[in-house]
Amino acid sequence: MRRVLVAMSGGVDSSVAAALLVEQGYDVVGATMKLTCHGDELPDRPCCSLDSVNDARRVCDQLGVPHYVLNLEKAFGRDVVDDFVHEYARGRTPIPCVRCNTFTKFRDLVVKADAIDAELVATGHYARVIDGRLHRGLDPAKDQSYFLWGLRREILSRLRLPVGGLTKAETRQRAAHLGLQLVANKAESQDICFVPDGDHVKVIARRLGEDDPSLQPGPFLLASGGVVGSHDGFARYTVGQRRGLPGGFSEPMFVVDIDPEQRAVVIGPRQALLGKTVFAGELNWLGAPLTQGDVVFGQIRHRAPATAATVITASDQRLELAFSSPVSAISPGQSLVLYRDSQVIGGGVIDRSPRSLPVAAA
Amino acid sequence: MPDPIYLDHSATTPVRAEVLEAMLPFFGPRFGNPSSTHKWGREARVALDEARERLARALGASADEICFTSGGTEADNLAVIGAWRSLRHARPALVSTPIEHKAVLAAVHEVEAEGGTTRIVDVNAMGLVDAASFDDAVRDDTALCSVMWVNNEVGTIQDIATLAGVAKARGALFHTDGVQALGKVAIDMRTLPVDYLSISGHKVGAPKGIGALFVRRGAPITPLFFGGTQDRGRRPGTENVAMSIGFARAVELAVAEREEECARLERMRDALETALLAKIPDAVIHGRGAPRAPHILNISVPGTDSESMLMALDLQGVASSAGSACQSGSIDPSHVLTALRVPHELAIASVRFSLGSLNTDAHVTRVAELFPALITKARRLSGLVTG
Repeated sequence: MRRVLVAMSGGVDSSVAAALLVEQGYDVVGATMKLTCHGDELPDRPCCSLDSVNDARRVCDQLGVPHYVLNLEKAFGRDVVDDFVHEYARGRTPIPCVRCNTFTKFRDLVVKADAIDAELVATGHYARVIDGRLHRGLDPAKDQSYFLWGLRREILSRLRLPVGGLTKAETRQRAAHLGLQLVANKAESQDICFVPDGDHVKVIARRLGEDDPSLQPGPFLLASGGVVGSHDGFARYTVGQRRGLPGGFSEPMFVVDIDPEQRAVVIGPRQALLGKTVFAGELNWLGAPLTQGDVVFGQIRHRAPATAATVITASDQRLELAFSSPVSAISPGQSLVLYRDSQVIGGGVIDRSPRSLPVAAA
Repeated sequence: MPDPIYLDHSATTPVRAEVLEAMLPFFGPRFGNPSSTHKWGREARVALDEARERLARALGASADEICFTSGGTEADNLAVIGAWRSLRHARPALVSTPIEHKAVLAAVHEVEAEGGTTRIVDVNAMGLVDAASFDDAVRDDTALCSVMWVNNEVGTIQDIATLAGVAKARGALFHTDGVQALGKVAIDMRTLPVDYLSISGHKVGAPKGIGALFVRRGAPITPLFFGGTQDRGRRPGTENVAMSIGFARAVELAVAEREEECARLERMRDALETALLAKIPDAVIHGRGAPRAPHILNISVPGTDSESMLMALDLQGVASSAGSACQSGSIDPSHVLTALRVPHELAIASVRFSLGSLNTDAHVTRVAELFPALITKARRLSGLVTG
């Protein structure tokens, strides 16, 4: 019987994933990763996402499979939380879930899988592995392939994503059908797990100090030049954001760029958000690496459609892509994920465009 | 899969048949409240008093010196906080060690938060309290010294009589957490100069949820709870009659069987230790060389990690433990091994086997085969050892 280590959050998706694998005859071992300990900071919340751990354990008990809690707090703090705050501190908008998948789930967890002779690993992600290739989840409303581009290619042959072919509604039905009442109607978690109240500034302040330059006042600049106000820290802003900007303009204004050197938040009208060129680093390929002139579909955020694009330059470290039509709010720190039809070819982290920027003096 | 092997008796033990039998009537027909004046109450009261006497007798104590609690943690809290609060104005200081159970460590922190002075003494690499450090720490400002008798992680046995003697000579009170000592070392409160002793039921075949604090006659104690006058006001709340009776029975049995059972456990533990060291020459046995309780074997193998070893063992049906489990069940590096200055690489690799009533020689033979095999695989994965 093939052993599979299932990463279980205590939510409905990973619970159903585990249950389906049990049904399919695998030797299932459940594991919940302990990634953060809110402990003293949030006295009203149970320590170590305790409720989630307990739910996962109860589901495993119901399925008749073992369950373990894996303490990956230290590595997660280093690989995910530290990166998160440092990215904000340099004016970018990180996606911690991508790094958690890349480093925590599909590297550190796989080490644990090896330790218990688990040939396979599984999660409750809405994505599919078909013939060793990563594809979008079947339900376009739930597809999570955008977050999985950083996986090592070798992992794909060991990866099982049992709910990737289901819709969320079907997953809930399965949960109910399988008798997993505990999780069947659980609400979707939207928060970043280590930013439970949605206030990422608090996390930055705690890790880098209140006096970090990214939390200090700086100017609002117009994309066309000129200072139009001041803000209380560029880490509070993200490209495409509309809230918290100075008023009095004839059209809605958005953050179009963040310049950490000048501590500036650059704002402009909707039109100024549009771009046709995107640069990405930290590349990872799940298919054959692209080369100059290749045509591909690029997606710059989780909820954006993929847009046809041509590779301008491609090296090991850096990719430049030209979209066939302009895309809105290309945000440094977010992921650029490359698709062909439903297959994920690879991805990278979006870098700031080296285009000319307004300066405060202008 | 072969029969599962339970090697985690320091965590908890099954309720003994004799204990269950002794308790059953008190869950049924003899359900009375010991504080009631009627027949049901009297019956319960008599049974509870008898249990207290039997428990006291097994420890060489008097019945009035036994205060039943909900377990070891409450007993530790009551001793440390209760004694300190009684004496805080005259003697604000508390002395303890870095290898105590969290129930004592957290109580010591509470005392600190309430304005007490705390001094934590040194321990050596085997886990024995450093005599000079203890001597220096206990001064005329010291209300209480709290030193664990048998360490739950490494099994080291402290020289409690000597340490308590030092404390008494300075006018300080002395508490020992005897949760792991019960049934493993000889306990005679007539000759042992300690003022408070914590014990717990579920380590010796009684249910979880019952324990006791020995409070020497005349030793001060300020209660943690407020309510009725049960247990001389030291521990208000309707008494846990059935479990107190079960606990007394379990302690009687543990004390009566101690020498024979300890010899059996020590023989098995030593056989396992010898076999493991023969197959894994660079393994480190913590607490080795110090007087050690007969049932604990705490081993670290470089290039492995506790979490993976515990999982791999459990998947083979072998129960063991490591460090102290967090509320979630995840493992944090042991504060005890850290205090013993065990290198990080070894501290994160520790596995504690604790033997007990459920174990047989066949278990030792099987684990002596299985553990080295799992270690070899783990080290091959970690890349530290090839082949």
